[in-house]
Order: sequence, then C-alpha cells, then structure tokens
Amino acid sequence: MRKLKIGMLSFAHSHAFDYLDSLLRMRNVEVAGIADEAPERTKELAARHSIPYYADYRDLLADASVEAVVICSENVRHAELTIASAKAGKHVLCEKPLGLGAEEMESMIAACKEAGVELMTAFPCRYLTPVVRAKEALERGEIGEILSFKATNRGSFPDVPWFSDKSLSGGGAVLDHTVHVMDLMNWFTGSNPASVYAYAATLFDPEGKRTIDDAGMVHVTFENGVSAVLDPSWSRNPGFPTWGDVTMDIIGTKGVISIDAFNQKNSVYSRKSGKGDWAFWGDDMNALMLEAFVTAILEGKPVPVTGEDGLRSARVALRAYDSVEAGSPVKV
Amino acid sequence: MIKVAVVGCGGMGNIHADRYASMPEASLVGVCDVNEAAAKALGDAMGVLWFTSMAEMLKEVGAEAVSLAVPTYLHVPLLKEAADLGVHVICEKPIALSSAEAAEAIRYCEERGVRLFVGHVVRFFPNYEQLAGKVREFGGERGGVYHAKRAGSHPALVQPWFKDAAKSGGVVFDLMIHDIDYALGTFGEATEVFAFNKVTDDIDYATATFRFKNGTIAQIEAFWGYPGPFYTSFEYAAAGGIVRGASSDSESLSVRVAAPPGSAAGFVETPQSVLLQDPYYRELAHFLSCIESGGEPIVTAKDALLAVRWAEAALESARTGQPVKLGEGGAR
Ligand SMILES: NC(=O)c1ccc[n+]([C@@H]2O[C@H](COP(=O)([O-])OP(=O)(O)OC[C@H]3O[C@@H](n4cnc5c(N)ncnc54)[C@H](O)[C@@H]3O)[C@@H](O)[C@H]2O)c1
Repeated sequence: MRKLKIGMLSFAHSHAFDYLDSLLRMRNVEVAGIADEAPERTKELAARHSIPYYADYRDLLADASVEAVVICSENVRHAELTIASAKAGKHVLCEKPLGLGAEEMESMIAACKEAGVELMTAFPCRYLTPVVRAKEALERGEIGEILSFKATNRGSFPDVPWFSDKSLSGGGAVLDHTVHVMDLMNWFTGSNPASVYAYAATLFDPEGKRTIDDAGMVHVTFENGVSAVLDPSWSRNPGFPTWGDVTMDIIGTKGVISIDAFNQKNSVYSRKSGKGDWAFWGDDMNALMLEAFVTAILEGKPVPVTGEDGLRSARVALRAYDSVEAGSPVKV
Repeated sequence: MIKVAVVGCGGMGNIHADRYASMPEASLVGVCDVNEAAAKALGDAMGVLWFTSMAEMLKEVGAEAVSLAVPTYLHVPLLKEAADLGVHVICEKPIALSSAEAAEAIRYCEERGVRLFVGHVVRFFPNYEQLAGKVREFGGERGGVYHAKRAGSHPALVQPWFKDAAKSGGVVFDLMIHDIDYALGTFGEATEVFAFNKVTDDIDYATATFRFKNGTIAQIEAFWGYPGPFYTSFEYAAAGGIVRGASSDSESLSVRVAAPPGSAAGFVETPQSVLLQDPYYRELAHFLSCIESGGEPIVTAKDALLAVRWAEAALESARTGQPVKLGEGGAR
C-alpha cells in the first residue's frame, strides 16, 4: 500500500493533537515531520513517535518526500503557511477559519491552484454521520424545500491563550464557531449567503476581564431566500457535562430534520471529577475527514471540501463583525 | 369567594371553567358560547347555567369576574362590554392584535374601575419560575444568551380562525407572545429585535432575536405546523452558569395501555408532566387573589401591552429585513 507522507505545521491549535492521533492510526499515512515553533509543546511528542521535529517549518517543507501538510497554526498564520506549502508543492489541509480576509483567502486559493496542489479546509462537521444522513434525506426531498435553519455551535472558551488575542485569532466566538455550521448550511442549501446580521458580545467571563467576543447570534439570508440563525457562543462552562455541541433544525416545507450531532453519549458520574459528564460514542468525524483528505490525494482526485468552501463560510463570519459595527445587515 | 363566569367554551374556556370549578376561592356561576352546543356541553359538564350571550349571562348570574377565552380578535370588544357592566376581566393572551387596541383596552378598564388581567401563563410554570431565579443568580448584570422554543401542530387544523392572521395574529402574536412575555418579565428592557417569519399553507414559523439593555441576547422560535408533539424548550447561559429544560425531558408520568389485538399500533401512550396545581390553576388563582387584595399581579396588563409592541416590532423586522429598535416601546 502506498503511504502518504504528511507533515504537520504548527500545533498552536489543539486540534493538531487530535489530528495527529488519527493520522498515526491510519495505515496509508506516514507522519513524516512535525514543525512547531514551540518545542515544549511537541518536541517530546515527536520523539516518542519517532517523527522528525523541526523548529522552523521551512525545513519541513524542504523535505521533498513530504507530499501534504496539515496546518494548525494561529489563524493569522494560515495564509503564510498555506502559500509557502503550496510553493513547496505540498497539498494542504488547513484548519478553519481558512483566513482572516477575503483577499488573503483568495490568494491562498490562487497559490494552490498555481502550484497544482489541493487545498482543503478542515470542516470535520461534514463528516458527522448524522450530518451526512441529513444531507441524504434533503437530497431525497424528504422535507420538501428548506425554509429556515436554527443552529447552535456552542463551545467552551478555548484554553489556548492566542484565541483571545485578536491580532492572532482575527476574532472570537463569532469567527471561530460560525464557520463550521455556516459551511453545513452552504452545503445543504447549495445557495450562497446574501446578507448577514449579527450580535457579538463578551458575556461569559466570570472575572469580567475578557475583551474578545465570546457570545453572539448570527442571522443569515441566502440568495434563494432561506433564512438561518446560528448561536456560535463559547457559552459552556466547566460545570457543563461536555465541551459544546453542534445542533441544527432544518425547517422544510414538508417536514423538519433535527440534528444533535454529539447526542450519542453515555452519562458518566465519576467521583473523581465530581460532576456529570457526557461521554460521546458516535463516529469519529476527525478521522473520517482526514481519511477523505488522504484518499483524495492518494487517488489524485480533488479534495471534497475546498478552499472556496472555507472562503465562503469565513467571509460570512467576517462580515458578521461588520454588521455588528454597522448595526444593520450587510451584504456578504 | 369570587363569582366567575367563562366566555368561550372552546379549548381554553374548558380549561378555565374546570380550574375555577376545583378552586375553593372561586365559584363558577356560568359559561357562555355563541355556539350553543359548546355552551351546553360545558355548562352541563360543570353543572352551571349556560348562555349564548355574554351580556345576558353577566346580568343574570351576578359574576364579579369573567374569563374571556374567545378568538383573539374578539378580546377587546368583549372586554369592553364586560367592563361596561362593571365586571373584572381575565382575558386570554394576547390582549389584542395591535398595541393601539391594547392601550385602549387598558384605558377603558381603568376608567370603569375594573381590573384587567391577561393570561400570560408561562410566568406560572414552575420550571420557568425556577429559570427566572437562575437568571438572577447566574449574572443578571451582564446578561447572557437565551434560547426559547415553542412548537406544535397548526392550530387551524382544529380551529380554522387561527389561519386568519387578522383574527389570531399568526404565530408571533399567538404563540411567540408566550416567550416574549416571559423574556420581558425576566430580562427587562429590550432595545432591538431582528426576526424572520416563514409562512406557507401548512406552516407559520417565526424566529426573533431580542437584544436587551443588560446585554442579553434572546433567541426565540415559534412554530405552527411542526410535525411532532407539542414541544417547548429553553436554555439560558451566562457567566455564572447554564440552565436548560425541555418539555420532552420533564414527563413525570406515562400511562401506557396495550391496544386491542389487531390494531396497527401496539399501544397507546400518554406522557404527562403532572402537578397538583397546574400552571393555569396557579395563574387564575393568582388573578382572583389580586382582585380580592387589590394587589398587583405578577404579569400586568401593561406587560401584555408591551408584549404586543414587541410582537409588532418582530413582525416589522421580518417584513423589512431590518432590525427594529424598540426605543420607548421596549421599556416596562
Ligand atoms: N394561554 C394559553 O396557553 C392558550 C392556549 C390556547 C389558546 N389561547 C388563547 O385563548 C383564546 C381562545 O383560544 P381557543 O384555543 O380556546 O379557541 P377555540 O376556537 O377552541 O375556542 C373559542 C370559542 O369561543 C367561541 N366564541 C366565538 N365568539 C364568541 C362570542 N362572541 N361569545 C362567546 N363565545 C364566542 C367559539 O364558538 C369557540 O367555542 C385565544 O385568544 C387564544 O390565543 C391561550
């Protein structure tokens, strides 16, 4: 079996650790290098798995045998790393949000096109089995035409500090948690978001020191008239039995589809944690997403979730902030 | 002991009459409906006189208070007629189909020295009462993110007048008004609303986000034509904690009866959430005690007027696609 040699660029986003776990379990993958600017985070981890470690990502990119990279840097560095990887001839799987500006994202897409490499945006929610089944039911026309969405992608405040530094993250909850579900809605409607009106606020810091937005409500109208409301808040606290959720009601002319993607869980009450927990036992979306990426590259096919998809949903999140400023809906 | 009569012997009229009949502080003295069969059926069931004209009934039975459980467009004309006869009025929600009419109803009753109560029953649900306590406990000052949902089959399937927005006000005035009232009672002054409303032959679906002066973002959905059992849910998340509940999680009794052999379904199931005194009982008993004491009710007629203003603003937003400022109209 041919193995795809993958390099991992930055572990600033903690999803990198989950992705590494999944990649290590895949028989058609060899993790050929970890580049991370913070050795305390990854040097030992790399050694434990006998993976070459690089303090400078350019040294990893110089390894001609590496065919693809997974980028999990701070949001602000996605463009630099993606473009450098493309120039080095590597296929790219980039963490969301793809970038922090439409132009920046367009240049990432263009760089990959020019270099003839694939660019995939990491939207693992596309690989949630209930989401896939919902898409199939929609395609069969089971609920008629879509009228409206109500969705939540609530989460916990990220434990990595750069998330609350706007110069590194580009935004808070509204940016971080709008893109996943926005992508699902784009996928489900097959239409484009036409306008957005959002609220953003900072409500969930018990110390009242936080400045980045951790609360919001995003309202979108699609070109085909479908409306959508999405709660992207980082509203879960440590007392809540899980980190967050992905829920969506799809209201159609002939029925309703309700997704509660992480509801496949056991309730666990451990003396040690002193609280109730929900332990998820459904299918592993990260592993499925990585498999889809690897399979596409190995088979020389286009990736299933593109840079354009990443741009389309990140643009909504970025325009959401503009609408907060404007106090009125803005065109996307 | 207060002598009460009930006007309208449909769905709600039956509930009002039944609760009064079991209430030590009330004496049910008559029921009335323009539909003679409905009036007779309820009158006979309750063992009280029945009438087909409210004025006739009020003159004959000496009622001190009257419950109005008639189609919404008849609330104001009938409450004026009762006020002219010096009878206190307990009117089903919403008080009226426009804020002008609602204000006029309040003025009219004040001038004639009769009390006016509006049946915003959600305030009397113990789970919502508890929720309001948690809202205060978890960070009233900075606010939080609130979700509320109320969904059920289209009421016009049973009573055609609900289909006519000029008579029922549609889903916002009829169903969402419950959660609007609750939100204004719990979160205080709203500054703005942004809403969508999707209406088809079988569906009236509305979703409105209210922004409050204290920072709270309240996202409220109301759904007629929902293909499932009647359903309500809420979640409030703030810095201090999260509280949530749903009707589907709070059934305390289920009676399951084996169906006769040969029938399609193997069983008949009636899940219930049982209380010694249900919210309607608590609401009506509270209003009667306010008549006795002269005290202010938990939910005032002014609150009911405000709820109508907010409902008007939500519909205006849905129509124009723009957020609507509540200004003076947002304050209690
Ligand atoms: N609080 C709640 O939870 C709740 C629930 C449902 C309905 N409601 C409200 O209660 C009101 C009644 O709704 P419903 O579901 O009982 O409707 P319904 O159609 O079941 O009953 C209304 C009854 O009023 C009668 N009526 C009509 N005109 C009359 C008149 N001039 N005099 C006497 N009777 C007359 C009708 O014949 C009918 O029997 C509405 O305003 C509705 O919004 C409140």
